[in-house]
Amino acid sequence: MGSPSAIRVEGLKVAYGVRGGFFRRGLSSVRAVDGVSFEVAPGEVLGLVGESGCGKSSLGRALLRLVPVTAGSVQIDGLDFLALRGEALRRARPRLQMVFQDPYGSLDPRMTVFDTLAEPVQAHEALTSGRVAEQVYNALEMVGLTRAAARRYPHEFSGGQRQRVAIARALILRPLALVADEPVSSLDVSVQAQVLNLMKTLRRQLNLSMLFISHNLAVVRYVSDRIAVMYLGKIVEIGPREAIYSRPRHPYTEALVSAVPIPDPRRERGRVHIKVTGEPPSPIDPPRGCAFQSRCPLATERCRLEAPVLESLGADGHAVACFERGPGKV
Amino acid sequence: MEPILDVRDLKAHFFTRRGVVKAVNGMSFRLHAGETLGIVGESGSGKSVSQMSLLRLLPSPPLKIVGGEAFFRGKDLLRASDAELRAIRGDRISVIFQEPMTSLNPYLRIGAQVVEPLLVHRKMTRAEAWHEAEAALDRVGIPATRNALDAYPHEFSGGMRQRVMIAMALTTRPEVLIADEPTTALDVTVQAQILALLKDIQRETGMAIVLITHDLGVVAGLADRVLVMYGGRVFEEGSAEQVFYASRHPYTMGLLRSTPRLDVDTEVLPSIAGVPPDLARVGEGCPFFERCPVRLPQCSLFPAAREFGSGHVGYCHWKGEGSPWEVPARFVSKG
Repeated sequence: MGSPSAIRVEGLKVAYGVRGGFFRRGLSSVRAVDGVSFEVAPGEVLGLVGESGCGKSSLGRALLRLVPVTAGSVQIDGLDFLALRGEALRRARPRLQMVFQDPYGSLDPRMTVFDTLAEPVQAHEALTSGRVAEQVYNALEMVGLTRAAARRYPHEFSGGQRQRVAIARALILRPLALVADEPVSSLDVSVQAQVLNLMKTLRRQLNLSMLFISHNLAVVRYVSDRIAVMYLGKIVEIGPREAIYSRPRHPYTEALVSAVPIPDPRRERGRVHIKVTGEPPSPIDPPRGCAFQSRCPLATERCRLEAPVLESLGADGHAVACFERGPGKV
Repeated sequence: MEPILDVRDLKAHFFTRRGVVKAVNGMSFRLHAGETLGIVGESGSGKSVSQMSLLRLLPSPPLKIVGGEAFFRGKDLLRASDAELRAIRGDRISVIFQEPMTSLNPYLRIGAQVVEPLLVHRKMTRAEAWHEAEAALDRVGIPATRNALDAYPHEFSGGMRQRVMIAMALTTRPEVLIADEPTTALDVTVQAQILALLKDIQRETGMAIVLITHDLGVVAGLADRVLVMYGGRVFEEGSAEQVFYASRHPYTMGLLRSTPRLDVDTEVLPSIAGVPPDLARVGEGCPFFERCPVRLPQCSLFPAAREFGSGHVGYCHWKGEGSPWEVPARFVSKG
């Protein structure tokens, strides 16, 4: 075997208990993540796309054990992350870090940037205050902020700068892998490009693996090597970036890619938009069979009864979960 | 052809304890029947405040209109009485907002909300209004069954709620629809449905649409004319083709090239350094000055309108050729 995957996820399930209606006191559950498997190689960026409620954020959080996992395993650098307890877990945590959408919500408003960055270092490494300061300043420099930024509070920064602070905090313990959940979605376009470029540069410099979660397919195309498409708790298609955007196989991926408007009037007006009707079904009561069948133009009787699994389409790692578009189908 | 809406040098400022925030600092535009005008800009550009201030939809104070004129069918909205404005707003000019959940009343059934503009503006009987409401819901793709009319907003998905908002906005057959980020809160597949719906309705009714959005892709698909705003100022106005393919404004050109695209692989996405200005501190100069690669000494005064092409107007002192973003740093004037 070659080098182990940085992230290896197998059969992961996340379910939340929800209260039924007023008269239905019983607890039902939302299967937010419903049996997901994938790997991310060292230094690779896997983009995870899907619409709201598809489970992409739950999946990202599950990797860091921020939400309870009901089944499956997560290996980080060969280490069984979900089985770890106590001190072993504490020592493993720095390997996988997270960047959230809203840096204003994920940074403590009462802490200076210095304290925000020093905290994880002090918690995980026994260092002199001088060495801690050195690490803080290095991290700031890495994300393009000056030493002067260390004395300031989150509210004194613009959205883009705050996200830089959040990235510095995620990287200060030199993680192997990063889960980035909509990291640029609250930023304006001109600033968004700055943060995306920073993430691309850091990934190259640090050989960082990344699970990059976003609803924005154009942003994901820019940063990812491979893409996974999620729908109602399942990965319905996964493959190299080029394959997903140029040769999508799953009817949902096709619809998703065709629905994203392109900032180019002639091209946009000449495009054929594949229309899907309706909206995703509720994950509380998912349909039997394929999750997409209620909106799928290709759905057959079989799709209503049986759930398709991911099947490989070739050597390039492109795989799709669809009876009508699987291997051997046109 | 006479424009439906003719806005000249609109200035709308917020008077806050921190100082005067010049949210809209001189905006002019014309809207013609049947056309879609896309207003694009980043947050704080003034794109939304400009339209909301025309209709007095923002609390005053702190907002105050400090200058300009806005003629709707010859009537100056800025000088209309509250009663006159109420008769126009929600009737001849309708608005839909980004977040339909906050603009629908959570305590009222859908039906009761859709009939309201008809009862208020058209003085219809309840029966007539309900009949119209059913037709309006049907037109936006909601089968007007008892179930739909009796439902509360929270029982609908985001896409369905936005359909309800559109139905409400259209019951009175407005001449102008102001759509403020109408699909920003929606998923892309649902966004595509809503945009197609707006296009269809416009084709049927001939209403004009002001589409406020930060999404250049949405504008590319829908807008006939495009107006680019930044820091409370209009930077450029022209046909969609002119603005996307023949822009002469450094900001527009920078914005276009820093937008990630779905249809092409990009190795390095050029960004615009710096951050948007603090609107409490902008003076009479160009608000893009700090971030502009070709700033000039004369940029300390905001430029007058200049023809970039026929029907294509820009506001920039720079008159160079090609893209200002290719200019090597050492040749850039520091102003």
